[in-house]
Amino acid sequence: MRAVEALTSAPLVEIARSLRQRKVSPLELVDAYGRRIEQASGLHAFITLPGERARQDARRAGRRLAQGESGPLLGVPIAVKDLFATRGVRTTAGSRILKDWVPSRDAAVVARLRAAGAIIFGKTNLHEFAYGVSNANPWWGVAHNPHDPSRSPGGSSGGSAIAVAAGLCAAALGSDTGGSIRVPSSLCGCVGLKPTFGAIPLDGTFPLGWSLDHAGPLARTVGDAGFLLGVLTGMDAGRRARRTSTRGLRVGVLQGSILQKVQPRVADQVDAAAAALRRRGLRIREVTIPEMEWTVATQLVTLRAEASAVHRRWIRTRPRSYGADVRIRLQLGALVAGADYVLAQRMRGRLRAAFERIFRNVDVLLLPTTPIIAPVIGDRTVRWRSGEEPVDGALVRLTAPFNLIGLPALSVPFGHVAGLPVGVQVVAQWMDEARVLAVGRLIEELADA
Amino acid sequence: MPVTEREELAAAGRAAGIRLTAREVADLLPAWKRYLGLVEELRAAMALEDWDEGG
Repeated sequence: MRAVEALTSAPLVEIARSLRQRKVSPLELVDAYGRRIEQASGLHAFITLPGERARQDARRAGRRLAQGESGPLLGVPIAVKDLFATRGVRTTAGSRILKDWVPSRDAAVVARLRAAGAIIFGKTNLHEFAYGVSNANPWWGVAHNPHDPSRSPGGSSGGSAIAVAAGLCAAALGSDTGGSIRVPSSLCGCVGLKPTFGAIPLDGTFPLGWSLDHAGPLARTVGDAGFLLGVLTGMDAGRRARRTSTRGLRVGVLQGSILQKVQPRVADQVDAAAAALRRRGLRIREVTIPEMEWTVATQLVTLRAEASAVHRRWIRTRPRSYGADVRIRLQLGALVAGADYVLAQRMRGRLRAAFERIFRNVDVLLLPTTPIIAPVIGDRTVRWRSGEEPVDGALVRLTAPFNLIGLPALSVPFGHVAGLPVGVQVVAQWMDEARVLAVGRLIEELADA
Repeated sequence: MPVTEREELAAAGRAAGIRLTAREVADLLPAWKRYLGLVEELRAAMALEDWDEGG
């Protein structure tokens, strides 16, 4: 019993190894996680609990392991955000509108996890239709941060981040349209990877903004995130990251006016990470990207228009079926003029050109994932010297640029402020996940040192 | 002809097929004004680029 309890918070690769070596059975593991989920039920991490179906899958995985079968994730319980379709299991997208939808097919990512032998371990809570970052879901429960339940876990993949950070599953899947994997990972203290746009297929994933949506893993270690990336894409970035030397890599540390609105102790953590990387032989240089100032406006116009297109019919015929915040965003989205959308796309091109210029001189970019630590649930604004900023805008200000231009970005925990985790974000060129993971692993190692 | 911000927002809603109650208009107004402000900033930033390119 004690060995399996200890394993629940272990890295996924260690769990998979223990299962292969038959030190623990999938059913023992599933039951241990089930007990933990029960104890943590007040956090509202799940919309649909793993239940008896997960136990049946665990028994089946146990038989396969006993017969000597192998699979990279055989018997490993992975939770998935409740906007990925799961065959025969309710998929709500965190909404009331889809409360009874039982898909007949799995989303592509779910199918790939199952093919690798994973046990789909419950459907995690999210901001309604993934359209927001507070994860205060009016239909399925307000999610709470496992480090301090009075604080938000962030979102929209908040349930997945809670489940990973609190040891309620081996790893989880999330989606990220403006920061929805990285923001909750940062606030809850786990690793979150948003790969290059298009690297992970989105068939069967309820959309939020077609040109911004990404899927990706939330995990306890960078190694686990790389391993899952391999399962989900066939990319060998995780393996290459382990062989990639980081010595001499050029790290651009973001500076400039955008950092005036970052809590000083959060900025200190990023500086500490950069200093530690310098001591390990990486070349640190300061970079400024003035175009990032336009991120919030560009993201807002683009996403409002795209999300409104997704919800075009429902927002007109049944607006009362949405929670107040999402309804307001969608109603306003219906008013976005075509000319404004074009304007935002032109600015997007300008952002892309700015990052292309930056990556001629650096190999990776380092910046905070979020400018603030986990906010108190219900807080609407952040106060800066220059004035107030809405909390939801602040939380995605440093993550959304990489949705707009599709660069791979990873959030890695690095230290704490006031007992709450801080995430450092590592970004690289398109399809250069190996470098993101290599630097992320080093930051992880330095954080533990 | 809409004359107040609220009337303008309600008219924009009607044009887009969105029926807004007076209460909803009041709820939407701050976010709508923020949106218009951000678009104006984007427009100004791009106008500068147009000028640069045009020169």
